[in-house]
Order: sequence, then C-alpha cells, then structure tokens
Amino acid sequence: MQLEQGVKAEISRLRLSATGYKIWRGRAVRLAFFALLLGLWQVVSSLELWSDVIFPPPKEVADALVLGIRDATLTTAIKDSMQRLCIGYGTSLIIGIPLGLLLGRKQLLDDTIGSLAVGFQALPSICWLPLAVLWFGLSETAMQFVIIMGSLMSLILAVRDGVKNIPTLYLRAAPILGATGWRFYRYILFPASLPAIMTGAKLGWSFAWRSLMAAELLYVTSGIGSTLMMGRELHDMALVVAAMIIIIFIGLLTDRLVFRVAEGFVHRRWGVGGGN
Amino acid sequence: MTKVDLRNVSRVYLSQSGPVYGLSGFNLTIKDGEFICVVGPSGCGKSTLLNIVAGFEPPDMGEVLINNKKICGPSTQRFVMFQDHGLFPWLNVTQNITFGLRMTGVSQKECEERAATLLKTVNLTRFATSWIHELSGGMKQRVALARALAMDPEILLMDEPFAALDAQTRDMLHEEVELVWQQTKKTIMFVTHNVREAVRLGTRVILMSAKGGTILKEYPVNLPRNRFLEDVEVVHIASQIRDDLRQEVLKAGEAEADIAT
Repeated sequence: MQLEQGVKAEISRLRLSATGYKIWRGRAVRLAFFALLLGLWQVVSSLELWSDVIFPPPKEVADALVLGIRDATLTTAIKDSMQRLCIGYGTSLIIGIPLGLLLGRKQLLDDTIGSLAVGFQALPSICWLPLAVLWFGLSETAMQFVIIMGSLMSLILAVRDGVKNIPTLYLRAAPILGATGWRFYRYILFPASLPAIMTGAKLGWSFAWRSLMAAELLYVTSGIGSTLMMGRELHDMALVVAAMIIIIFIGLLTDRLVFRVAEGFVHRRWGVGGGN
Repeated sequence: MTKVDLRNVSRVYLSQSGPVYGLSGFNLTIKDGEFICVVGPSGCGKSTLLNIVAGFEPPDMGEVLINNKKICGPSTQRFVMFQDHGLFPWLNVTQNITFGLRMTGVSQKECEERAATLLKTVNLTRFATSWIHELSGGMKQRVALARALAMDPEILLMDEPFAALDAQTRDMLHEEVELVWQQTKKTIMFVTHNVREAVRLGTRVILMSAKGGTILKEYPVNLPRNRFLEDVEVVHIASQIRDDLRQEVLKAGEAEADIAT
C-alpha cells in the first residue's frame, strides 16, 4: 500500500514536471519572439526611413503610455470603456442565455425571434449607431445599445444551437428524474448546454468589444476608442499606437482571465473531448 | 397483482420502404415483482416496447396501464437504465446519484446519507467525488444503477444496460441487479439481445418476432437463485430460445429476400 502510494506520487511528480517544462518553454519562446519584434521595431524606426509622425518609435509610444497613465487620461478612458462593455455585454448575457435556451426548445420562438436574430447578425452592429443616437440621444444608452445589438444575436444563436445538440439521452433522463417545468431549464438544459454557452459568450464578447471600439471611434465621447481618435486628430501617432496596444492588451487579458478559467471548468467536468 | 398491462399496443414508423411496425397489436401483462426479460433479433421492436412503457413515445393504438391506470408520458415511478448510462457530465458521481432526490425536494442531509449507502452498495465509495468521464464503462453503469435505486421506482426498465461491458464486469453487475431485485422485489423489464443473460436474470423470457412487433414465444424460467451464466439449466433453456430465435431470423431473412427479388 505504502509502496503503491510512493509510486503514484513519483508518477504524478514526473508528469507535473514534464507539463511544467512545456509550459515554461512555451512562455520563453513567446517572450523571445515579442522581444525580437520590439527590437525590429526599434531598428526600423532608428533607420529614420519615415518621419516619427508616420512611424512612431517604441520610446515615444512608451512615453505616451506612461504620460497617459500618470495624468489619468488613459486610465479614465479604460475605465469608461470597460464600464460600457460590462453593462452592455452583461445585459446581453442576461437576456441572451435564457432566450437562447427557450429558442432551442420552442419551435415557434425559433421560427420568429430566431430568424430575426439570424437577420440582425448579418448586420454589423455599428450600423445601429445613427438610429441609436436618434432614439437615445448622445448618451451612454446609445453606446450600450450598439454593444448589445452586436453581441446578443451571436449569443442567442450559439446557445440555441447548443440546446438543439444536447443528446436525447439527457432529455429522456430529465423527466424520469423529476426535472420538469422550470427545473428542466435550470438543472438540465442550462448545464447541458454550458459548453455551447461558453462558446457563445466568447463570440459575443469579441463582437461586443469590436462594436464598442467602432462606436467610440465614430462617436464623440470618452473611452479608449475615442482616445485613439483624439490621437489621430492631434497627429499624435504615438498615442494612437498606445491606444491600440491597450486594446490588444485588454482583449488578451479577458481571454486569459475570464474565458480560460471558464473553459478549464467545463474541461474538468466534460473531459478532454469537450462538447457533449 | 398486475403491474403493467399492455393492451393491443401498436406503434408504426414510416420509412422509405413503407411503414415499419415497432409493435403491432402487442399484448403483455406483467405481475408485480416479476423480472421480465425481452429478447429478439435487432430491429424487432424491443426498444420501442421499452420506450412506450417508459412513456418516451406514445402508442399509436391501444393503451398502456400501470396499476390499472393509463399512463401519459414519463414518470419517476418508471425509471430507465440506458445502454449509454445517460449520466450528467456536469455533475460528479454523488451529485448524479442524488439528482433525482434533489429534484423531488429531499433535504441535503438525507441526500448525502442515501448517496453514502448507495455508493457502498455499488462499491464506489472511493469515487464519490469523481467526474463521470474519469470512470470506466462498468463504473459508469454502477453509478447509473445507484441513481436508479435512489429514485426507488416501482418499475425498473433496463435497455441493454450491460451490452457494452466486459464479461467480468457484467457478471458482477448481474449479481448486483439480482440482489437488488431479491431485496426490493421491484418489477423489472430488461431488454437484451443476449439470450443467456435473459435466462440468467429473468423470471420469464419473452422472445419477440423478427418483423411485425409481436410476441413469438414466452419461456418461464423457474430456476433457483443465485444463478450463473454457466449453469447447465440456464444454458439449456437459452439454447432452446436460441434455436427458436435462429429460425425466426432465418425466416425474416427469407422474407427480406422475397421483397428483394
């Protein structure tokens, strides 16, 4: 028994160190690659082929970042954008997930609201901006409306497809286990379509993020997209690039912190196969 | 006392080559506490029969009475053990076993106690908090059995639950099911294509006809418990059934050839 445990511990230690090595090697390669890109950027800009206005050197971009954070213009912009995104995307999640679950079960709803969602999904949500400004004025609501129209449709459709792909076996097991009525939705449909909901949420987030940036570029307001536009108007390309870097960084951070964690959760339960 | 009563039940499916009878004018009475095993060639309607008794599919004609009451839809009193276990991947072993109890409003504390007892019954105490995908096929079916027992249904319907398991695991599960049946005296309907398995477990074996969805023949099995798959008497009865089954399959083959030519 003791021997067996010793062997088990040894095996798991070996496995851990093997995966640990892979993870660290991956990190090192990525770090080296990005350092190389940065170096290349520095070299090209120091050749002075173009003026600093057209091709800002890394130093200027770094200065713009530091300055923006020190005088709080960039941090305020990030805060404003994230606030809009959270409200708009959050609303999409709250409406989209239950609606998607219903659409997957009720053919009548799918034929009506479902086909409407398919139609609206073909429309880039920024096209809603003129109407949104007309309806809601120059307000936060108008921006959030654009975000919702961007993310809600893909979320609804992804959840609906997830529900339609739930194995018949789970649906048959539900009533004999007493999961009927609202319990069926809460304890069977929702968890069974969780992998699809995760995919939908990720897709919805990327649509929301793109819609927000487009709206902030077009619309006179605060936020990181507007900072980018301001840089353009002031011919301050260092600020433009700084804003672009922040947009990339927020995108990556959300993917790592939110979606990786959530996917790991699904992975542990469903097993490596994922899906169903 | 009559537990299950199927009266003149028919179920028709439409296929490319015309109507196919899952069941046609099917009559069967199952007494309380009987262990009925249903065998037949594939496509004979065994699964249709089970789905109709479970309430997953409505009969096109005729009626199904349980305790002399006509059924409409599935119920917690007729629990089904599926071939592919049907356990929920988003719940761990214990949560799967107690899922039905929680749905019917049993308290958390009682759920835990029942789960502990059932885990002991199926020898899975060590795996109480494992995820389903971490278990072997036999362990999954044992969890499915524990989940069925937790529901304490009047009738247990089993749809080839051990077909995909290796021989040793299947033997163990046969013993467990037999023990459960002896202790609880539940009415069990067990669908299988394995004739010897049917004779080893059942109090009565029903052989279905290859086409047309009717009963071809019934075989009472009055052998003492606990039986083994290798028992001479089990093998003897099974070989009788297998002979009848073989003729039936041949006949069905000829019928098919007739249509083809």
